Amino acid sequence: MKLLLGLLFPTEGEITILGKPASDVSKNEWIGYLPEESYLYRFLNAEETLDFYGRLFDMSPQQRKERSNQLIELVGLQNARKRQLKEYSKGMTRRIGLAQALINNPDLILLDEPTSGLDPLGSRDMKDLIVKLKNEGKTVVMCSHLLADVQDVCDRIAILYAGELKELGRVEDLLKEQNETELLTSKLSPAAVADVEAALAKHNAKLIRHGHPTNSLEDLFLKTVQKSQERPGQRYVPTASEKS
Amino acid sequence: MIEQLTLQQRKLAYLIGIVLLMLPVILFGIPATGEEGSGGKLARLRQEHDLGESTLGKVDPTSATMNLVLLGMRGVAVNLLRMQLDEEKDQKQWAQMRATTESVILLQPHYIQVWRYLGWNLAYNVSAEWDAVEDRYFWVKEGTKFLMQGSERNNRDPEVYWDTGNTLGKKIGRSDEWKHFRKFFKVDPDTERYKGGPDSEINQAGNDNYLVAKDWFQKANDADEKRAQHIMMDVLFRSYPARSQLDYADALHREGQFDETARKAWDGAYHDWVEVFGQMRFQTGDCEIFLEMPAFENAMDQTMAASGVTRDKLEREINLYQNVSNYRYWRAKSHAEKHVNTAAVHRDLYEGEQLFKVNELDAAQESLESGLKGYKVLLDSYKDLTVDDSAIEEGLWAIMIWQKIYQLRNQVQPPEEEIPLRSLWDKEIHRVPNLQQDFNRKYGPS
Amino acid sequence: MTFDRDPFALLTGLRDWLLVFGGFVGIIFSATILVALGIYGTSGPVAVMSRVWQGLHDFTHLSPKRIWAISRLTILEAWRRKALWVFAVFAFLMMFAGWFLDSELRVDMQVKNAVSFALTTVLWLTIPVLLLLSCWGIPEDIRVRSLHTVVTKPVRRNEIVMGRILGFSAVSATIVAIMGVVGYVWVLRQVPEDHQPRLSGWNRLCLAVGLLPNISIEADPKNDLPAIDVSAKKFCRMPVYGTLEFVDREGAIATKGINTGDIWEFRSYIEGGTKASARYKFAVNDPVDQLKLESRFEAFRTHKGRIGQSLLVRYVLVNPTKSLRVPLPSFEIKEFSLNEQFINREVSYYDEDLKDTRTVDLFKDLVYFDEDEKLKRNVLQIEVQCLDSGQYLGMARTDFFIRLPDRSFLMGYFKAVFGIWLLTVFIVSIGVTASTFVKGPVATMLTFSVLIVGQGFRDFMIKLVTGEQKGGGPIESWYRLVTHMNDTLALPDTVGVQIMQGIDKVLLSGLWLTQHLIPDLSSFVMSPYVANGFDVPWGMAMFRSLAMTIGYLIPCVLIGYYSLTLRELEAK
Repeated sequence: MKLLLGLLFPTEGEITILGKPASDVSKNEWIGYLPEESYLYRFLNAEETLDFYGRLFDMSPQQRKERSNQLIELVGLQNARKRQLKEYSKGMTRRIGLAQALINNPDLILLDEPTSGLDPLGSRDMKDLIVKLKNEGKTVVMCSHLLADVQDVCDRIAILYAGELKELGRVEDLLKEQNETELLTSKLSPAAVADVEAALAKHNAKLIRHGHPTNSLEDLFLKTVQKSQERPGQRYVPTASEKS
Repeated sequence: MIEQLTLQQRKLAYLIGIVLLMLPVILFGIPATGEEGSGGKLARLRQEHDLGESTLGKVDPTSATMNLVLLGMRGVAVNLLRMQLDEEKDQKQWAQMRATTESVILLQPHYIQVWRYLGWNLAYNVSAEWDAVEDRYFWVKEGTKFLMQGSERNNRDPEVYWDTGNTLGKKIGRSDEWKHFRKFFKVDPDTERYKGGPDSEINQAGNDNYLVAKDWFQKANDADEKRAQHIMMDVLFRSYPARSQLDYADALHREGQFDETARKAWDGAYHDWVEVFGQMRFQTGDCEIFLEMPAFENAMDQTMAASGVTRDKLEREINLYQNVSNYRYWRAKSHAEKHVNTAAVHRDLYEGEQLFKVNELDAAQESLESGLKGYKVLLDSYKDLTVDDSAIEEGLWAIMIWQKIYQLRNQVQPPEEEIPLRSLWDKEIHRVPNLQQDFNRKYGPS
Repeated sequence: MTFDRDPFALLTGLRDWLLVFGGFVGIIFSATILVALGIYGTSGPVAVMSRVWQGLHDFTHLSPKRIWAISRLTILEAWRRKALWVFAVFAFLMMFAGWFLDSELRVDMQVKNAVSFALTTVLWLTIPVLLLLSCWGIPEDIRVRSLHTVVTKPVRRNEIVMGRILGFSAVSATIVAIMGVVGYVWVLRQVPEDHQPRLSGWNRLCLAVGLLPNISIEADPKNDLPAIDVSAKKFCRMPVYGTLEFVDREGAIATKGINTGDIWEFRSYIEGGTKASARYKFAVNDPVDQLKLESRFEAFRTHKGRIGQSLLVRYVLVNPTKSLRVPLPSFEIKEFSLNEQFINREVSYYDEDLKDTRTVDLFKDLVYFDEDEKLKRNVLQIEVQCLDSGQYLGMARTDFFIRLPDRSFLMGYFKAVFGIWLLTVFIVSIGVTASTFVKGPVATMLTFSVLIVGQGFRDFMIKLVTGEQKGGGPIESWYRLVTHMNDTLALPDTVGVQIMQGIDKVLLSGLWLTQHLIPDLSSFVMSPYVANGFDVPWGMAMFRSLAMTIGYLIPCVLIGYYSLTLRELEAK
């Protein structure tokens, strides 16, 4: 993510983002970035923070004011808008951080560990916000080690391990268990379950368990890492045997 | 046990602890109010052993603060300031130099040599750089005030008092500009500021500079009683108040004042010299003497008995001390001058010269002859005067004026036998060539 | 104090600046190209060129709004971080400064001490604050990563550098302005005021705050009051200096007079009662009704002379083209003070040849065209003579000048304050630039060194580089120290010595470069002008400092931009 933003330079190769090289500053017009930690001026308050970043986008005072109000409301900091950031809790800091990332109404939003260190409620709010942004048609790229959160909000994931891309795909594809089929029905009576079992028996299949699906991103991640360690330097592709 | 206490209780316990610890601190450290035996143990100890800064003299809060703020860097700071001072002096930045002097002294308020050096620097070196006499006088005053301030901050030290007296006496009364300086001392040239009076800071009452100097020398002597000075022999140091009175009387004569004031000044001088200074006790290697001792037979006997020195040795010792301080001359001089007819002799000689200057030759000659006749009587009665340069030269000078007048009127050199006071002339003929040069410079060659 | 500075030649300065700046840019550019070519092959120079192109693009697409946003942030930061506590220190110093200043001195000397104290305090309190702020701003941003959030907005790196410099300059402007005003009021309070009863309240105020240098009150015949001229105790003189050459006792031209043994060689002396004189030539343009001459000569006596009378000095107006010599009435000098003389348009004098009084016109008869290479213009020549034989009169070029109508003290004082601000801007530029490529402490040290060297060590460096300083370069002086070898002794002619001197030469040429790169910061300090009662000249002091600040600001921004751009902010 830092390479994309030009904070680090690639040792080789080229990066383009929104069709522009990573070192080009003008790409930032359409990007919103939430860094991982302590990235704001702690002596500013929420309004001043948003106003400052608004100015960096050459926004007019009118625009800045509107946008600040909107965003403060969006991230729910109405009660703390005049307090300096050094008095903020971690959750509040993340929220104002997200607000500054959105100040320019970006098309591409890069979030570095958006939910780390947040309490479950804060984490929930953040994820809701991300989903909301997705629904507004924005591209959100986030990286996280909290895999449950990723699973909750992401459409597509990539797994990077030891500097290499190990896995890339839509979440539902990657997490789909190839050897099992999952049925989700409305509440079934014992009789109905028996009927289903019968139907399955007819197809030479068997009801293993009924309840909720259990496979998780965490499983996938661990499996990927394990396989990578066995075959360093290669992308993990499930083998035919595993598929069948 | 501590763990079982509540927060409140713990705080209370700490508070009591603090108060308990404070008690001895307070008991030991109560500052003295200035009275003897006041204050805590530390203050009393400090007083007993003379360790407090206040025992050195008046403490300047600025100076104390500066030294505290500089921590251990005082030496470095003083060095830098002294370098700056020298540079400012070289570049004739007098105002800044004066300010730097003040800063140096803030850092070294009890370093006597610094006061003495910088005071001298202002009164002598800086004043000499200025061309106008008024400006020179201003810097002499600056130096004097600086030394006064120094003696205030170090009121146990006799030396700065002495320096103050010396500047007031000698620098004002004896430098080339003495005539101006002595007038300025009574009527400051900055008439706008001092309204035609003296600078009250150095001369409150409008007195003669020598009399003010005398007060300072007296303070020096008082301080010397408690802490000995290190700048000269005791017998010299102690003679200064009386010497200052002598200088005062002498200066009045130099300025042509031969009236009752001058006579009284000499009278006072004789008193100070013989009855005060002459009675001062000095410790020689073997015994205690005073300069007037030979006049007191039983004092001599007592001393010989107490210390076991022979009469011969005792007399030698006293003689040595008298020689060092030129005691007998000044005794004779002041004794002679306190009489009315001596003043008349000097007035005759002085007026003779003044009349000569305005070309009243007859009156001048008459006055000189009368004066020289009196002078002969004076020298005959006070043998001690005949060893002193100024007494001899006064006579020779008058004779030269007389010769000049004779020459102007008769167009020939006067025959030797006609010279009044010929005995002095013949005896001191070796001094004549030098003196004649001075005379020619002043009145033209013969 | 000398005010003897060559007038500032903007065009020459600009040309030299362009040469040096262009030279450096050229060298760095070609070196980069070559290195890139060596390491990356042909793709190297292409990358370099694209960087340069991008740089050009960034510098042509600056947004004032974004720069101001950064500046605003900087100001807020300084404010919220309590940088302005410096005022408390200032107030403290000003409260107690009176203790250190002697109120016994002559009024003009009191003014001098008070003004230098106030301005020096402003200078040395502002500098450390700005030095620390500017050197720690960017490194701290990088450390806590707040800069990451900024650079991922469409902000050019040069905008960050410029914004920072602008912001700190604004902070220093505030500090300097407030301190300047407080210092001004303080100076006014230190100096006793004239309570001329005939002045109106407004006039008194004008005199007091230095708005007007003097006020003339017309005579009041009804109440039998004469006309008076009340002048402020603080004002700024406007001097016009001339050129100076000496004539020795035989009447021959000399560049210097006699040294009377003064350690300070600033002044040169002429002997009184001889043909020796000091010849001043002043450029004169328009005729005026009266010329005011002011001098500050020094006396040196070889004998006491007449006690109570100062040396007698005489001015002689000379027109060599007409062989006209007009002696003016002699006067006694007053040392270390102003000696004012007036010359009217019509000058009457006693002509020795005609044995009669003659009247000439100052401009028609006495001003002439001087053919001297350096002058080539209309001048008024004035010879200064000392009339007391055996006594000496000392002077430097700046000791004698034509005094134009005085300027107000207010103006001069605030010009000096502006100079202090310019110096802080200079420091801020250096500090911010240094902080883009090194960490806070290093940047602080670097900037501080530039400041100290530029303030105090330039003369020494110049002496070292030119070889005027005895004892050789660093190695040689070490050698001499260790072997206790006096600097007047010649070194033995051995290979070792040659090697040593060779190394010294290299080291000294490094010093030569440093000495040329670090400016003479003392020209920013204009307080001596004001303290000595002179106006701060625009050309010699103000423009010079302004040009110097801008001259350093431009490369600083450039260096700052590239070092921020080429730096991986994430890498610590």
